[in-house]
Amino acid sequence: MTLFLQAVADGLQMGLLYALVAVGLAIIWGLMEMINFAHGEFMMLGMFGAWGLSAWLGWDPLITMVPLAVVMYGAGVLVYRVLMQKVQRGEMFTQIFATVGLFFFIQNGVVALFTSDYRFINASLLTRLSGANLTVGGVRIGVPLLVGGLIALALFLILYLLIDRTDFGLALQATAEDRDAAMLVGIRPQRMYAVAWGLGTALVAIAGVILANFFSVYPQAGLSFTVLAYAIVALGGFGSILGTLMAALLVGVVQSVTAAYLPPAFKDAFVFASYILIGLFRPQGLFGRF
Amino acid sequence: MRILRVIVAVAVLFFVAVQLGPGARAAGPVSEVLIGELLPLTGNFASLGQQYLWAGQTVEDIVNNDYPDLKVPLGPGKGFPGLGGAKMTLVVRDDQSRGDQARTLAEQLITVNKVHWLNGEGTSGNTSIIQPLVESYGIPMTCHACASPTLTEKGFKWFYRTGPNDGTMVASVFQFLKEWPDHGGPKDLKTIALFTCDNLFCQDNRKIALDLSEKAGYKIVADLTTKTGATTLASEVQRLQSANPDVLFSVQYPAETTIFQADMKRANYMPKVLATSNGAYSDQTWLNAQKATNGAAAWLGRDPTAIDLASKKPSWKQVNEIYKKYSRGQDMGELAMREITGMLWMADTINRAKSVEPAALAKAANETDMKPDMMIIDYKGIKFDKNRQNELATGVVTQIGWDNDKHTIWPWDLAAQAGFKTMYPAPSWPERESHKK
Amino acid sequence: MLGALVALLYPIPFERSGQIYYETVGFLVLLNAMLGIGWNIIGGWAGQFDFGPSIFFAIGAYTAALLTINLGWNAWLALLGAMVVSAAICAAVTYPVTKLRGHYFAIATVAMWMIAQPIGATWPLINGSQGLFIPVATGGGFVHGVLTMEFPGRGKGLGFYYLSLALFTITLLAARAIERSKWGFYFRAVRDDQDGAEAIGIDSRLYKVIARCLMAVVFAAGGTLYGFWALAVFPDQVLEVNWNILPMMAAVVGGLGRLWGPVLGAVVLIPISQLMATTLGTGPLAGRGIDLIIYGAIIMVIAGWRPNGLLSLPWSEWAARLRGHASASGKA
Repeated sequence: MTLFLQAVADGLQMGLLYALVAVGLAIIWGLMEMINFAHGEFMMLGMFGAWGLSAWLGWDPLITMVPLAVVMYGAGVLVYRVLMQKVQRGEMFTQIFATVGLFFFIQNGVVALFTSDYRFINASLLTRLSGANLTVGGVRIGVPLLVGGLIALALFLILYLLIDRTDFGLALQATAEDRDAAMLVGIRPQRMYAVAWGLGTALVAIAGVILANFFSVYPQAGLSFTVLAYAIVALGGFGSILGTLMAALLVGVVQSVTAAYLPPAFKDAFVFASYILIGLFRPQGLFGRF
Repeated sequence: MRILRVIVAVAVLFFVAVQLGPGARAAGPVSEVLIGELLPLTGNFASLGQQYLWAGQTVEDIVNNDYPDLKVPLGPGKGFPGLGGAKMTLVVRDDQSRGDQARTLAEQLITVNKVHWLNGEGTSGNTSIIQPLVESYGIPMTCHACASPTLTEKGFKWFYRTGPNDGTMVASVFQFLKEWPDHGGPKDLKTIALFTCDNLFCQDNRKIALDLSEKAGYKIVADLTTKTGATTLASEVQRLQSANPDVLFSVQYPAETTIFQADMKRANYMPKVLATSNGAYSDQTWLNAQKATNGAAAWLGRDPTAIDLASKKPSWKQVNEIYKKYSRGQDMGELAMREITGMLWMADTINRAKSVEPAALAKAANETDMKPDMMIIDYKGIKFDKNRQNELATGVVTQIGWDNDKHTIWPWDLAAQAGFKTMYPAPSWPERESHKK
Repeated sequence: MLGALVALLYPIPFERSGQIYYETVGFLVLLNAMLGIGWNIIGGWAGQFDFGPSIFFAIGAYTAALLTINLGWNAWLALLGAMVVSAAICAAVTYPVTKLRGHYFAIATVAMWMIAQPIGATWPLINGSQGLFIPVATGGGFVHGVLTMEFPGRGKGLGFYYLSLALFTITLLAARAIERSKWGFYFRAVRDDQDGAEAIGIDSRLYKVIARCLMAVVFAAGGTLYGFWALAVFPDQVLEVNWNILPMMAAVVGGLGRLWGPVLGAVVLIPISQLMATTLGTGPLAGRGIDLIIYGAIIMVIAGWRPNGLLSLPWSEWAARLRGHASASGKA
């Protein structure tokens, strides 16, 4: 029984980290329906940023999180204005094509600058706390992961309030649902998309900064999280920020529990099988609006 | 049909571009020996590929420049004396860790650049994809650090390997474990667990380890295969913890090993013996990163040479200095050592052949009988069996100490020279923390 | 006609100069063009996002390999077997998920791809991650080579080029026939207005399945061709992400939904990436991924400049202008 409870607890903790990675995508893709193949690469840039500032200036990632988020916000807006805005004129599929190019460009740009060596952050608050545990009822909860998870929750709350409770959020939703109608009521769609890209990129970069405390930093690091992020946004349902969070927790738990009892090589496969299964009963995801 | 015209136009343009490109080389005495270097320089295996590249650049440097005191083949003197001073040129290609790209670029190297020798691909899987192709063109091919036994067991006539394969490597670890009780080791190791990633390299190791474990009489309490690219291994750690093996045999790449270690630390899990073969253990960057956490102390695994002893050899030190020019300061890891040794053998073979004709190269290669004193590695020599596998490629078993360096612990005569006391049981995580001061 | 002539004669100069590599580039272009045409059926005509077509590529490669190795079937029979098995599996797994629409369906195809990976890596029948090796056929001349899909020695480049040309041509002709048939009409109806189509009695789920399984058949054929070309089938190689995105990119670059779109896309993309790999990915810059950086940049430029695909360029205008110039100078 403890094995099971521990697996659930581990799954919830990882789920919060996955939620952190997925939240940026939930805005760009879940809300604004723009496909971004390079999502994981922005996360990786966040990781490198955190590592670089930690290694050369000794600044803690929890602090550098803020300036890096601002810089990456700008990067997201830039990518939209220079590339995606033009691509929007064409087929939906061209977005994939364009962001595949972006993927190659960013990943190999980092390889060129930093090579493919594995790098680690050694001197941050969270890494110094590594190994510290809280034990609740026989179940172990790692402190650093808990901190990461709390930051994820906080970001989700802010984002939920932003999207669902503010005029700005409503404007974003309106643009996503019907661009022409939104223009009629005075919303400028280009600006909405640019902001969405900026926000989404900033959020996933923050995810990278946090994750850099726990995982090795290397150019190919984005891949394993990205595929899960896509599944999570779709599972949660398009247009629902809360849905993404719930889906992330579910994914984390399914992954963790199946790895504890079934062949571990299949743990991601079970996650995706659950997606299909749930999709058969709820074709718009858990909380999807469209 | 205007679309057809477009396609025709593009094809013609490409055709023209090609004709303006590198043409066929003139026959006759060579001034340049072309060595094809086909490596995974981007993609999943990039961190391996770059170590191979630096190794290749090191050998190119050694051959082409004069190092009068360096006791390795073609150290002194410039170029290939047997070819009138011809120089060695690496022609490097990146296959992005993809098999189809590897095969295509191999064909490019052979038919367009007309390389005389193909070195690559660096990973066993992709190397097996290019083997039939190179075989059909009939030029020598090598992958010194590719460990899968199948590469030399399929009857290819042009593939040579100077390094040991997984069969030998895993066997040395088990041999050490078998003899350990008679040399001051624990006498009660009865259970074993296997923990491997799901790709070709790890699974080869796993199959051999399963076989050897049964033969040695261990009880296999867990046999977990994990997905490469995993983001967490917490549940796997839980399962291993409850299985509680005496020996954990783990074969994983550096990224997954790091995740594994972090999850072990959280669970405060450490088996009594942690054994491995290649994978992270061969990766210099992983090793360097363990310094801060003592995460690698007491790990034991196979190495091609007694690094602690070899590094005392002047030739090792000299070659390392040259290597560091290309690796931005990183020391030679064991992967680089295997590769450099193999490529120096290749240079020596070309020199002995006094020709770049494939038949002459094959003859010189098959006649190889290289002695250990000219090597920076501790093989007993280089001599090929009928499968063109170096039968004198041995290895040692090393263990990482508190100093984060590898120390020889087997064979026993070399271990005595190294003078390192084996660590048992592997220290717990709190111990590793407190040792950090 | 001119195009067909070029395609047929393309490898000849390379045979003479011994630069067989360029024939293999041609092979890759034809293979990916063929896959692109297949993908266009579900992606371009039926308008469904399929991001995991490589599972059928893998099914094709493995089925053909197993039939050849374990049962000793002839290569062409194995090809047929691969196509049949692929279509069957496709129908079985696709029907349930046709309930999902748009992006949800897309993720379902990704899910299938992710599920296929550990199966490929651990299933003992296909030897898991240690791969299957197709035995090298010995001896025989060109005819024997065609029969076994294995060409001896240096004939490889030429043989596979023409083999892929043949399969590509068959696929192209079949696709053209489908485009003009009732099926093609139904596919486009489902793409443009699924609810409307259902209202007039078109079973959208059925036609989505048919479209996807036609693609599955093409990919299986491609996979079989790949298997005999590489002589080794490894799960991480046949399920590799590039087999998912390259055919799709070729179709999009050329012009989604246009019959010749994927062909143009493949002819543009593959030579560029090969050129980059062989010139920029080497020498002192090697290992820095410079070739891929430029490749990525080129892709982004094409996407931004011509988001509807290169076929949308005013080729007819340019051709007319050229003709106009020619006749003008002829008259003068």
